[in-house]
Amino acid sequence: MKKLFLILLISFPFVINGQSKFSTTHSNQNLTCSSCHSCTIPTKENPCIKPCPRESMIRVDQKPEEGPRIIVIDKLRDTDIYAPVKFSHLAHAEMSDMTGGCRTCHHYNPPGNVIGCSDCHEVSRNRTDISKPDLKGAYHQQCMTCHRSWSGKTDCIECHAAKEKADLKPVKAKDEKAKRIHPEIKTPDKITYNTKTDRGKLVTFYHNDHTDLFRLECSQCHSNESCAKCHSQIKKPADLKITFAEQHKKCSNCHETKNNCNTCHSNKETERFNHKVSTGFDLSKFHSKLSCIRCHTTPAKFTGLNKDCVTCHGSWSWDNFNHKITGLVLDELHGELDCESCHKEKSYASPSCGDCHDDKTYPKEKPGKLIKR
Amino acid sequence: MVDESRRKFLKTTALVGAGITGLSTKTVKAGPKNILDENRMGVLVDTTVCIGCRKCEWACKTAHDLPTQPLDTYEDRSVFEKMRRPDDKALTVVNEYAARETEQFPLNVKVQCMHCDRPACVSACIVGAISKEENGSVIWDTDKCIGCRYCMVACPFQIPAFEFEKAWHPEIRKCDFCFERTKEGKLPACVEICPMEVLTYGTRKSLIERAHQKISLYPDRYVNHVYGQYEVGGTSWLYLASRDFAELQFPKLGTNPAPGVSEAIQHGIFAYFVPPIALYALLGGVMWINKKKAESNKDKEVHHE
Ligand code: SF4
Ligand code: SF4
Ligand code: SF4
Repeated sequence: MKKLFLILLISFPFVINGQSKFSTTHSNQNLTCSSCHSCTIPTKENPCIKPCPRESMIRVDQKPEEGPRIIVIDKLRDTDIYAPVKFSHLAHAEMSDMTGGCRTCHHYNPPGNVIGCSDCHEVSRNRTDISKPDLKGAYHQQCMTCHRSWSGKTDCIECHAAKEKADLKPVKAKDEKAKRIHPEIKTPDKITYNTKTDRGKLVTFYHNDHTDLFRLECSQCHSNESCAKCHSQIKKPADLKITFAEQHKKCSNCHETKNNCNTCHSNKETERFNHKVSTGFDLSKFHSKLSCIRCHTTPAKFTGLNKDCVTCHGSWSWDNFNHKITGLVLDELHGELDCESCHKEKSYASPSCGDCHDDKTYPKEKPGKLIKR
Repeated sequence: MVDESRRKFLKTTALVGAGITGLSTKTVKAGPKNILDENRMGVLVDTTVCIGCRKCEWACKTAHDLPTQPLDTYEDRSVFEKMRRPDDKALTVVNEYAARETEQFPLNVKVQCMHCDRPACVSACIVGAISKEENGSVIWDTDKCIGCRYCMVACPFQIPAFEFEKAWHPEIRKCDFCFERTKEGKLPACVEICPMEVLTYGTRKSLIERAHQKISLYPDRYVNHVYGQYEVGGTSWLYLASRDFAELQFPKLGTNPAPGVSEAIQHGIFAYFVPPIALYALLGGVMWINKKKAESNKDKEVHHE
């Protein structure tokens, strides 16, 4: 009995280790079993892993500098007719800044570290599980999608040396000191598009307003873009004849593009969007920190909102409104008054004092004490 | 020795003749070889991934001892200017179809024998030289082939080719699904070399499953059609594409096995000869006898040395 116990005790860590190497981190993640498994009780024999790409991807994102600088891809060294590729991982990671980061290539990642291609894709092409490409296929399908669109070339020697000419010396130490390789991508402030339509040739696009003011992430507009977007030597996706819908796709996520052409199209360059000038509602006072969607709750619809406070703040009344949030604490006397005694307009803009005071005006005189908001 | 094989030949001729005149498509199952194995292999060709590097062409030639230019010459894309067909010098070729206005890349399509499940070439062959093997390959026996070219006419994909230079006893040439390699557990040469894994090797069953999985995962990428799943009763090589297969020079074929079709053609050609099988036998017999004569002459020469 004692012996049996001892055996069990010794073998326990091995049993635990026999599980997948990812299992220790699963529990730390906000995951449900069904993210990866298609059956309710996955076993080691039948893990019923869903095919990639899975609907809910688990992603790990790193800064380019956190990954390796150069990787020598030599897993296929024995069988390949070309020499291994010295892959400039850092340069590629930097380029992927524009296209969605690590997941541009590491398109699926279990919780934990960023994993490499060979963790999922089998080295041997002669295999029974054909639900994903083998390693050679996975590498090339990944690389060629961009490289082809960039140069139009499919020549092997663009990346591989011929086997006999290969320089397989280990990467030099000085290469290891990571510094940015790809220049920082500068975002334009304003782009004026010269379109082909006769209903307003020019579209003035204030790029940085969209990122800063409207708080859009790069990837919300720039997804699935590759090096070719900037570096293409052949026909760019932008040169392709595309449908109206495709052409307006990026804008129509937020803007209604089917009917309201002159929202964006004009015959001359248009001014930068200013909420106060264009709509009469000044955001700068109390609403400057909100994202658009907090008020414009229907996606792509920005019109039809009433300027009256109660449109959004419907529950406000004399009983529960704390005047302090406006930056002015009412004195005792004024605090007793109905809102409408001073605020004649529904917008609750500047108050008028004339009903009670002949000699006082706002903002020269104040019905209380200003405080810092 | 010669007598014995002559007897065998006559027997086969009679058998196949009976099949052609009397029975219908079941002829395919006549020999023990021509039974479809449940786990027969196949290849799924995903044309949306192919980059037209033509490594497969090189590998195929190298594996079959056919003369070839060095590998780096295959990067010359000017060959795509005209459409090519597999022939006696290239068992497989890759063609290119220009990108459409909405597409960035041209489309490349590899062509070779489809290794039909119910091959027209097998039923058309009057000496029973061609057979569908257990592993899915449709191969032929060089010793039996008399070079009559009936398979060439019968094949719905115009695949079998013959050596043009040789007027007498030209040998059939077509993709043999790398029968010798797969026998040793190796992959077909083209499958092994393809950098993109356009070509996935597996059991036909699993490939069909995978093909439909791909279509449902990427419905924008593929037309909802696995070419070869049902065409002419099914083929071992299966194709996925991003546009209608008719635009890629894939013949529009019904789901009925082609042998019926091929018989109709032959019967049509020889409508005024009664009975057609007599002609086959006569023609074939003459060719076969000549072949044997030539061979035994060759043998004699060797012996004299
Ligand atoms: S494609 Fe033609 S040659 Fe190949 S198996 Fe089918 S009928 Fe025979
Ligand atoms: S399977 Fe073999 S014979 Fe057929 S095309 Fe591929 S390499 Fe050539
Ligand atoms: S080797 Fe693969 S990628 Fe290259 S042409 Fe042949 S099928 Fe296409």
